[in-house]
Amino acid sequence: MTSIDVRDLTKEYGARRAVDGLSFSVRPGRVTGFLGPNGAGKSTTMRLVLGLDRPTSGTATIGGRAYAALREPLRRVGALLEAGAAHRSRTARDHLRALAASNRVPGARVDAVLERTGLAEVARRRVGTYSLGMRQRLGIAAALLGDPEVILLDEPANGLDPEGIVWIRTLLRGLAADGRTVLVSSHLMNETASFADHLVVLGRGRLLADTSVRQFIDARVQPEVRVRSADAGVLGELLARHGHDAVRHADGAWTVRHARAEQLGHLLAREGVPVLELAYREGTLEQAYLDLTAAEAEFSTQPQEV
Amino acid sequence: MPFAPVLHAELIKIRSLRSLVGSLAAIVLVTAAFSALASASPEENDPDPLFSAFFGIGFGQIAAIAFGTTAVAAEFRGGALRLTLTATPDRPRWFAAKVVAIALPVLVVGLLTGAVTLLVGKAVLGAAGPTWPQGLRGAVGCDLQLTLMALFAAGLTAVLRSGVATLSVLIPFLLTVSFVIGDMSSGIADFLPDRAGQVALHSAWDGPLGPWSGLAVCALWAAAALLAGAWSVSRRDA
Repeated sequence: MTSIDVRDLTKEYGARRAVDGLSFSVRPGRVTGFLGPNGAGKSTTMRLVLGLDRPTSGTATIGGRAYAALREPLRRVGALLEAGAAHRSRTARDHLRALAASNRVPGARVDAVLERTGLAEVARRRVGTYSLGMRQRLGIAAALLGDPEVILLDEPANGLDPEGIVWIRTLLRGLAADGRTVLVSSHLMNETASFADHLVVLGRGRLLADTSVRQFIDARVQPEVRVRSADAGVLGELLARHGHDAVRHADGAWTVRHARAEQLGHLLAREGVPVLELAYREGTLEQAYLDLTAAEAEFSTQPQEV
Repeated sequence: MPFAPVLHAELIKIRSLRSLVGSLAAIVLVTAAFSALASASPEENDPDPLFSAFFGIGFGQIAAIAFGTTAVAAEFRGGALRLTLTATPDRPRWFAAKVVAIALPVLVVGLLTGAVTLLVGKAVLGAAGPTWPQGLRGAVGCDLQLTLMALFAAGLTAVLRSGVATLSVLIPFLLTVSFVIGDMSSGIADFLPDRAGQVALHSAWDGPLGPWSGLAVCALWAAAALLAGAWSVSRRDA
């Protein structure tokens, strides 16, 4: 199967380094989330992988070859970069037909991807009449056109309605389950957590993390237990006596760090404290991401979109 | 990558945009209509019979320029070129396919324009019209001139990466520069692309260029613009 391999990749625009000594691999059979604030270099990296921009130094290869060396590349790699790529005065079908013709992709694939992206009924309408979500679906249709084994999608959930978000989540999971290599950039954490297995995190063009989603969260966010009893004071003393790191909330509940629900449940039963609420709370990708970026001094000083 | 599939894709793109098909239709209509108007009210002093019949090419070539410009400019909107180049990473090959996809329809439409304009001109002018050998040379010259101007515009658009920029350079240039110095037979002006090419549409000429050498000069302009365009497309980040 085919991996995307980025090695020591650097891209400078004048004095600005958009991508700075980046190395990572995207493996088949899983969805890799590509995270970072706007301007972190995600889109630039994707353009470098696709041979659209020339790297200042370093390499980006797909299955060991530069993109430009691929014969009929749409059959190997599918990409969504901008939803506005289809001409507004052309129909979705004609847009895809031209793309298919250039790589000798059979015409039946055009109808297949229009069907798969839910655009079959509007395929003969001009793209200018489409909503942003529909144009996004058309971009995804173009990416799937050649039935490629490697798929790169830049912010595919942009403009999708809630139904569309569920759809793309299922689509991405399905593509990875087929054994394809899937790289999806996003700045929406909860969204990414719902489909990604692995993460590549960028900040200012540099690699901040390359790890599984689970490890990424576990390494940065301690799980917590929320517990509430009839008498908050008694509960607090008990927790303190057993050496738990607990914080009291306004509603009288306590959040206990570094603890497990089973452990606290047994303790409270032994002590005869009536439990009104006991809940284990996992760390979220968003918390882990904010923790990571806050650790990067450069980021903490400026506002960013997450 | 083989060339034919890329050319096929580019031809689909041209066929599937109404504005491009409209520009092609406008080449025939505008050239023939303005030629007919000019023929119907000929100049007093010794009009050139062939140019009277083909007077409308000055307007028809604007439609040809619009066609060449629009076909290339469409790639520079909303990231279209990025998608195109992910499908065809061989940039010189892609640009060559784009150029052929522009040239082919203009050649066909240009020949039709030449034929229609000649027939209309001969019908309106009657005895004052061009002879058949002159007229046929004019029709072929009209075809080549329209094609070369479309290609010149296409190349320039690839360099400037914008249809608006290209048209705001070319249209004023053609409308003012050529019209203003149109009657002066000054050396340099004869070598401008539209003036050089239009020698082929005159019965008689007294400048340094003849009909075929004039078209060759126009072809050099188009070739230079296309080479610059190809270089620009190949070298720059998409």
